[in-house]
Amino acid sequence: MAAPEASTAAVPTLYTNNTLRNAFGGVLSFFILLLIGVLAFSIRLFSVIKYESVIHEFDPYFNYRVTQFLTKKGIYEFWNWFDDRTWYPLGRVIGGTVYPGLTLTAGTIWWLLNSLNIPLSVETVCVFTAPIFSAFASWATYLLTKEVKGAGAGLTSAVLLAMVPSYISRSVAGSYDNEAVAIFALIFTFYLYLKTLNTGSLFYATLNSLAYFYMVCSWGGYTFIINLIPMHVLLCIVTGRYSSRLYIAYAPLVVLGTLLAALVPVVGFNAVMTSEHFASFLVFIIIHVVAFVYYIKGILSPKMFKVAVTLVVTVGLAVCCAVIAVLIALVASSPTKGWSGRSLSLLDPTYASKYIPIIASVSEHQPPTWPSYFMDINVLAFLVPAGIIACFLPLSDASSFVVLYIATSVYFSGVMVRLMLVLAPAACITSGIALSEAFDVLTGSIKFQLPGVTSNAEVDAGETSSDTSEAQTDEVHSVWAAAEAYSAPSIVLTTRSRDGLHVFDDFREAYAWLSHNTDVNDKVASWWDYGYQTTAMANRTVIVDNNTWNNTHIATVGTAMSSPERAAWEIFHSLDVKYVLVVFGGLIGYPSDDINKFLWMVRIGGGVFPHIKEPDYLRDGQYRIDSQATPTMLNCLMYKLSYYRFVETDGKAYDRVRRTEIGKKYFKLTHFEEVFTTHHWMVRIYKLKPLKNRIRGKAKKSKSKTSSTSSSKRSGTKKKNPWQ
Amino acid sequence: MADHFFTFSIITLSLFVVASSGGLESELVADLLTLQAESKSGVIHLDDRTVSKFLTSPRTPRPYSFLIFFDAANFHDKPELRLRELRREFEIVASSFITNHNSSNTKLFFGDIEFRESQSSFQLFGVNSLPHVRLVGPTAKSLKDDSDVMDQGDFSRLAESMAEFVQYRTKLTVGPIHRPPALSKMQLGLITALLLLCLPLVAKRIFAGETLLHDPKIWLSGAVFVYFFSVSGAMHNIIRKMPMFLVDRNDPNKLVFFYQGSGMQLGAEGFAVGFLYTVVGLLLAFVTHVLVYVKDATAKRLAMLFTLLVSFWAVKKVILLDNWKTGYGIHGFWPSSWN
Repeated sequence: MAAPEASTAAVPTLYTNNTLRNAFGGVLSFFILLLIGVLAFSIRLFSVIKYESVIHEFDPYFNYRVTQFLTKKGIYEFWNWFDDRTWYPLGRVIGGTVYPGLTLTAGTIWWLLNSLNIPLSVETVCVFTAPIFSAFASWATYLLTKEVKGAGAGLTSAVLLAMVPSYISRSVAGSYDNEAVAIFALIFTFYLYLKTLNTGSLFYATLNSLAYFYMVCSWGGYTFIINLIPMHVLLCIVTGRYSSRLYIAYAPLVVLGTLLAALVPVVGFNAVMTSEHFASFLVFIIIHVVAFVYYIKGILSPKMFKVAVTLVVTVGLAVCCAVIAVLIALVASSPTKGWSGRSLSLLDPTYASKYIPIIASVSEHQPPTWPSYFMDINVLAFLVPAGIIACFLPLSDASSFVVLYIATSVYFSGVMVRLMLVLAPAACITSGIALSEAFDVLTGSIKFQLPGVTSNAEVDAGETSSDTSEAQTDEVHSVWAAAEAYSAPSIVLTTRSRDGLHVFDDFREAYAWLSHNTDVNDKVASWWDYGYQTTAMANRTVIVDNNTWNNTHIATVGTAMSSPERAAWEIFHSLDVKYVLVVFGGLIGYPSDDINKFLWMVRIGGGVFPHIKEPDYLRDGQYRIDSQATPTMLNCLMYKLSYYRFVETDGKAYDRVRRTEIGKKYFKLTHFEEVFTTHHWMVRIYKLKPLKNRIRGKAKKSKSKTSSTSSSKRSGTKKKNPWQ
Repeated sequence: MADHFFTFSIITLSLFVVASSGGLESELVADLLTLQAESKSGVIHLDDRTVSKFLTSPRTPRPYSFLIFFDAANFHDKPELRLRELRREFEIVASSFITNHNSSNTKLFFGDIEFRESQSSFQLFGVNSLPHVRLVGPTAKSLKDDSDVMDQGDFSRLAESMAEFVQYRTKLTVGPIHRPPALSKMQLGLITALLLLCLPLVAKRIFAGETLLHDPKIWLSGAVFVYFFSVSGAMHNIIRKMPMFLVDRNDPNKLVFFYQGSGMQLGAEGFAVGFLYTVVGLLLAFVTHVLVYVKDATAKRLAMLFTLLVSFWAVKKVILLDNWKTGYGIHGFWPSSWN
């Protein structure tokens, strides 16, 4: 916002001296950019100020653990790391299944600082990586928008991006996740693409491939780039905007970019074998055909060209058809038609909810409602249409790219709420363009009307001030969102009540208990949400974690949690589990506990082991845990572990999350024993009781079989179905 | 006459049953298989006579289960009952079951009963509301009390959930559901041929640069529409199959357009707010790119005032609605010493 005002203020005095004006503008822009960087960094520090310098949530703990490993053991060890502390007994090849960009970035920063004799801990570096990169991201936005609509729009977009809530939510200090660096890489790749498109320089084209490589290293969202850029190229060709600059911007990116992408172990040959990348190859062929046509057109006379066109069109079409046929055959031969589940659910939005509960269960993959847009991009939602229109007046190669970017990203964000993050930069760029144009026009009219002040100018000024007030609303909202909504680390919880601030530090209490009181090789079972934290903080082996790569394994844990005690004990015992950890919010009213996630455990478990049926846990289609709950529900392990001894707290066993008294209050555990419950009962840890010496006939028979088959047989025969 | 025939047939049938129940059973199954083969989708059309022949008269346990769809032709035009759609899905389940078992499974048959022609069967089953699907197991003596009713939840995911119901109750696997492809092979071939024919023409137009695609206005309106469509949460409505509005529970004459609670939204609500989101931007663009070139000062002022008022109203409305829906109000975050 500041730049257009500054430049227009500078206009009257320095109008004659153009170079001085430019120099002044350049220096001013530089300082404004510096301030934007400071703003972007500091607005994300609320979590450190309000809580402490701590890593947030779930995935960041995994990334932190990987970074620790990297800094301790070096890059080669990291590349070959097989982690046996997770997905027991399968283990996980970390080096080959993780996007290494974030880890390598933070590792490099740490190494650089240490070699400069600045002894920061790895954790500190990890905590502050995201804010640093959001400053970079806002500078990249400046560069990108500058390519489209000039420096004024660039500065406006940069300041908007520095404080767009959606991006803040993923990049506050401590949220050490792939998106933190990936958004920077995304914007920077787009900037270099546009720069190449505007200049036609091979230097930028090479840089573009390198930026793309960094993006591929950082985040699975790189498929968005490798589909959006071909789409734009195709759009340019179809609308008759082909130029040699377009060719230089695109062809090196595909060749170099694909080669580089294949270097990342997690991508590997996917870069040429999955359908997500086929669009780029198809367009690669098309652009060559088109380039050839233009070349022929250049060397032939118009008459000859007409003859040639018919020839080329027929040959070109034949080649295209053949290639398309091959592609279709390739795609059709794979079961999911070559698309990964997540990408498929973008194209066919109803796909995930029908077939893949593990994707549908994640709240980030739900389609958003309209308040999400207001929460995540705030007043930008009002400004974007104006930005789109501004991009069409006049339409250039670069501005058509921005339009395509906003249109695709806004559609994708409508399908999956987590893609709001990809929309945010696009919304900032378009809104920046809109605001900057509005300022340009409206403040311009003030200037020209200034000699004889008329009411017209006042009205215009009114609009300007309403723009400014909108921007202020945005800032007020963003600061609030940064401070209150997104800064909670979710590992430490606080509530404010009449008698002051309450801190719930139960998670760390539980993990510390595990690391101090259990053997280093003990296995801990919990729902997958807590897997990363358990390995990172308690250093204990887990059965499943947040990297949901093996659905069957997760379903096994889900089945155990939904089974009666005895069957669950057998499943856990077969997996060598020693401790079971459940998260329970009923005492203090923490809503995202395991009882609320329980239906997903049933669904995912039932998807693999059909004897677990969702209707058995629902009374008339309603999920309830009070006296109306079904017997299957009241006897399942999750219910028992969550509510064991709960009645002793208040005598009534009133669950403050579900707002009801629980159905079964007094019961004993036969196969598990409680070993630890945290201060606020949020985490409860149980130990599996050892085998009994005397085993009665039936148990003995089933013990020799594998757990899942035996448990399915038993519950198949013995389980009482409440519906019959 | 019919009654006579009815009693007569029962007497003869029961005599027959006493004489040779085994032979009769296999005969019934053979009859059913013929009927099944005659019907296009494998759903056997039942009437009062066949109901008694296959269900009421044979002695339990019968060698087969029967899944029956209760249909009423005169209610087909009522969209809220979804009879046509459910019937189609029912037929898909039936044909999938039959093809998956190579028409050799005699444990389960699919049937339908029409209300007009078989009212007494409807009474026999005690059916008084539609849609209604019932599974008559081999041991069911009284059709009304011993058979299983498929409840609303089992219709919800159409053929898939019906198949689950069947698997759950009869322990017979239905197998993969074979839906008829949206386009038949013939149509597909025609479309491909047409496309191939059009391709040179289209390519020529593209090279000449005179398609609709070269008109930026189309792209502009397309982009703005996609934006409007997405921010209104229409994808949410499609995925969750949300209705445009609800009928108020307390007062059936009143319609509810806005749903309180942030996880859900109704169709009309989304479009209304999507409109508010979009209109401000459009007005701003109008001011920036059109209004400044208007020469007449009064018109300019009026338009400007209008724009300001509408923009202000739209933003305020969205903030209020958002506050009402999610409970979130715009806060300032001030240093604590300022309070």
